[in-house]
Amino acid sequence: MTDPDHDLELDLARLRPRPPAPAVGAALARELAAPPARRGVVLAWSAGLAAAASLALGLFLARPAGSEESPSYRLVRAEQSPANVEVLRPIRLEDGSFARPVRVRWDNTTQWEDPRTRTRFINYRPNETLALLPLETY
Amino acid sequence: MSAAPAEQDWRAWFAEHGARLRLIARQWTRSEADADDVVQEAFVRFWKHQRHLPGDPNALVVTSIRRAALDLLRRTDRRGVREQAAAAEADTVAWFEPEADPRLQALAQSLPLLPPEQCEVVVLKVWGGLTFDQVGEQLEISPNTAASRWRYAMEALRKLITARAHD
Repeated sequence: MTDPDHDLELDLARLRPRPPAPAVGAALARELAAPPARRGVVLAWSAGLAAAASLALGLFLARPAGSEESPSYRLVRAEQSPANVEVLRPIRLEDGSFARPVRVRWDNTTQWEDPRTRTRFINYRPNETLALLPLETY
Repeated sequence: MSAAPAEQDWRAWFAEHGARLRLIARQWTRSEADADDVVQEAFVRFWKHQRHLPGDPNALVVTSIRRAALDLLRRTDRRGVREQAAAAEADTVAWFEPEADPRLQALAQSLPLLPPEQCEVVVLKVWGGLTFDQVGEQLEISPNTAASRWRYAMEALRKLITARAHD
């Protein structure tokens, strides 16, 4: 025995709603073609640049020494501290929407050591970024 | 409705779901043009700010559409009543594509004739893919009320398509 409501629901699901006007797709393409949100991107760029700088410095310092007196540093440690996330009070943006500022802080520490002299070269790099998380209000 | 992965192209997602989103918007708006505007506004908000959020993307996008539709209704309520009536009268475009099956065609023509509170439950359940619990949350009614409206709607639709069959 079939459920008449279920049969009717199946028939309803077979109906094909009319699609949005083509102008909607064009408008969406304009709206969504904008650059992606900066949050996350800022973090990625900062981390990427720090890593690239560390690598370049490491390669530079790891070159063969020109004389016996020149130090020969080798990379011995590269650390990134846990991120400290600070959620701030919501603010109102120029377009009337609300967003919550979030401040993220973390440190990168890279150490090179000359095994002959036991001296260390330490690069300490504090990082801070501020991102906005959009808030929905109803 | 499938999930909206963070890296998925919006065009593919919209091509798959745009028509259903528009129907959801259509039953909360006065005209075809208003429905398109609502879909555009709601989809941009959903895609930019909400698709990464946890939870059912169906419910999120429906919430976005409902909010945009209510905002539009508030704005257009400021226009003259005469202007609104003329716009509604002139807007006779069907909600669905034409169907060869007479029963489906009758169903397509009958749905907009339901009382609005029943119609929205049917649209959210069938094309929004929501459960009665989720429909209740969207409409701020209890799940039992949503289920009750669904049953009334099914009964009314059966009567309407039967009447059309005898015309």
